Amino acid sequence: MERVLTDFVKALRNANVRVSPAETLDAMEVIDKVGYANKGLLKRTLSIVLSKTPEEKDKFSSCFDDFFTDEIKAAVEVDLPDKKQTANDDSSDLAKTLMEGSQAEIMLAIADAGEESEIREIKYFTQRSVFTRRILEQMGVGKLEDEIMQMGSQNDGDVPSDLEQQLRSQLTGLRERVSDFVQQQFLLHGDVSGEQLREQVFKSMNMAQIDRSYLQEVHSLVRKMAKKLANMHSRRKKNFRRGKLDIRKTLRDNWVNQGTLFNLRWSYKKVDRPKILIICDVSGSVGAYARFMLMFLFSLTEVVSKIRAFVFSSNLGEVTQDFKDTQLEPAIEKALQKHGGGSTDYGQALSDFVSLCLDDIDKKTTVVILGDARNNFGPEKAHLMKLVYERAKQVYWLNPEGKYRWNTGDSVMRNYSAYCTKVFQCGSINQLERVIATLLRTAI
Amino acid sequence: MIDGPEKSIKEITEGFSKHGYICSEQIATAVYLASQLEKPILIEGPPGVGKTELANTAALHFQQEIIRLQCYEGLDESKALYEWRYGKQLLYTQILKEQMADVLEGAKGLKESLSRLMEFEDIFFSEDFLESRPLLQALSTENGAVLLIDEVDKADEEFEALLLEILSEFQISIPELGVKKAKVKPLVMLTSNNSREIGDALKRRCLHLYIPFPEAKLERQIIQARVPKIKKSLQKQLVAFVQGIRELDLKKQPAISETIDWAKTLILLNSEELDVQLATDTLNVLLKHQQDIEVVTKEVPRLISDSMGSPSGKSIN
Repeated sequence: MERVLTDFVKALRNANVRVSPAETLDAMEVIDKVGYANKGLLKRTLSIVLSKTPEEKDKFSSCFDDFFTDEIKAAVEVDLPDKKQTANDDSSDLAKTLMEGSQAEIMLAIADAGEESEIREIKYFTQRSVFTRRILEQMGVGKLEDEIMQMGSQNDGDVPSDLEQQLRSQLTGLRERVSDFVQQQFLLHGDVSGEQLREQVFKSMNMAQIDRSYLQEVHSLVRKMAKKLANMHSRRKKNFRRGKLDIRKTLRDNWVNQGTLFNLRWSYKKVDRPKILIICDVSGSVGAYARFMLMFLFSLTEVVSKIRAFVFSSNLGEVTQDFKDTQLEPAIEKALQKHGGGSTDYGQALSDFVSLCLDDIDKKTTVVILGDARNNFGPEKAHLMKLVYERAKQVYWLNPEGKYRWNTGDSVMRNYSAYCTKVFQCGSINQLERVIATLLRTAI
Repeated sequence: MIDGPEKSIKEITEGFSKHGYICSEQIATAVYLASQLEKPILIEGPPGVGKTELANTAALHFQQEIIRLQCYEGLDESKALYEWRYGKQLLYTQILKEQMADVLEGAKGLKESLSRLMEFEDIFFSEDFLESRPLLQALSTENGAVLLIDEVDKADEEFEALLLEILSEFQISIPELGVKKAKVKPLVMLTSNNSREIGDALKRRCLHLYIPFPEAKLERQIIQARVPKIKKSLQKQLVAFVQGIRELDLKKQPAISETIDWAKTLILLNSEELDVQLATDTLNVLLKHQQDIEVVTKEVPRLISDSMGSPSGKSIN
């Protein structure tokens, strides 16, 4: 029975539920206490031991239901007629196994055929039917079908012979069993949720081309990255964990030394916590990218506490509070509705930004600008950019367009990039990841 | 063997309900497992679903003392584990000064004095001078205890590391005294509101119980148990109303504790039935944010008519 559990744990891991060996041992101990007999109880107990977040509990629940279907199957098997009828001598091997062999032998035959067809390689759920077909062929179903056909043609009467009927029903049973077998193998070996595949594809795809319905998935990806960026900051603060003497604590801890101050205690207040100001262009020219950039913006506000987010097309507005209050999609819709779609005016946006929060920019502030720098040939007001650059710790510009398109047409990237610490191309998640990696390396 | 756990789980459910805590099967199973495996439970869920109450009830049920450690930012070992009683130590050294002189009488030189002093035990770092804090207390009780570590997520991440030794081995290492093992392993419950992700190391060592908002049926039972004076019809209406509110997009969903408060309020106002006026006037018991109240106020008439319709529908089930 331990085998069942380890297989189940494997299926869980495949479904992205993280289960450690120690937890597997716990599960074994629990099963000793609870037993396999009561399925509801088993499910509840294993869910307590193996899944440790609400999301994991959901995944666990569906995985458990998929995996432990045996009961139903066992019930069906009882219903099957007792067949012990001998096949003809000239029948194929498969027919013989089906007619004469025990359940275990048939399962073994399926497993063998599965091995031959390299079922372990199964990755995606679309491959299930292919593998089912392959295993059936491997077992010689084609031949059996011919045989049954032949029997039918030999038999002139309307009523098919007993043997033929039996074989037909056995064949249907076999098909079902093979497809169950493939399903189970898929749970064990495949990329069950399809998440890995999707992540791969999404990461390399240009952001403008990803369909809106995948927003949630992409969001979780972007969120992971935003978290990385945030972690960088939280690690930074540890360096600032010394500096101020905590007199109260020092006195108390040094009572032991009769009041002589041997062990000094430092205050644990974090002195520095970097601020991020992030500005996002949502005008018509970056329309396709706007969602992606807003998503990054949103994710950052989720994981970084001291952040202010702004969006603009011509006039600039702050959206920090909106983002904090609502979910991703309504927040993005609201931001787009309020500020999006208009024609770009970087000059206006910059002067709005400066008047709104220049006082807030100091040498701990990081300013990030997301946009394509296409200014509709309007005034650039690059001197404002200079002002920001001189006050802030660092200024990053992330441009979703390909590098070859910068400075073409109305793009004035070169005028702004002079006042940036660094400029990145950032059109897909992969690129975003690279940007963040660079930021992590250089920002400290 | 199969009979055993089911029976004990049922006993727990019944025992808890005697103390006014109506628990789902999932909760009872978790408590059973924790007592069987002697493992801590990490309880997560939105605020107000009865996480802390579960620990209190477990203590009543098992007739054990409850020891509570409330976590907060900056909580450290001297507040959670133990601390030396420095004041007492200082006082005693002052008092014992003369005794010291007696002991040292006749000793020549520093070396001899020191070796004489060494003959005595390290009296100032013994149990008499040890102030035990909740975690150490929980390990040293004679009859076992329920240790509630409330809102672990509020404490710093470093504090989690401090808990690991206690949670897996039920022991605390005190450098001056050695390892202190639990006499009777306490039943440990940790609660978290998920204000930050709990570390994997801690999660690995715990059973994990997630308490969601209750379903209508369970919530009705809970209200009945907690506010016995309430009329059946009002109670049904009230629960249906609250369940309706939870489907709206709110900043903070009303939890069970709020439903109970609301039920008590309605009893206090001698109301027999929920109507639009009454619901609107008392919404502030249920909702804690002005924005939420505004959202719900608009929906009140619909929710009322829904909750009026549902009791008859549900009573058939």
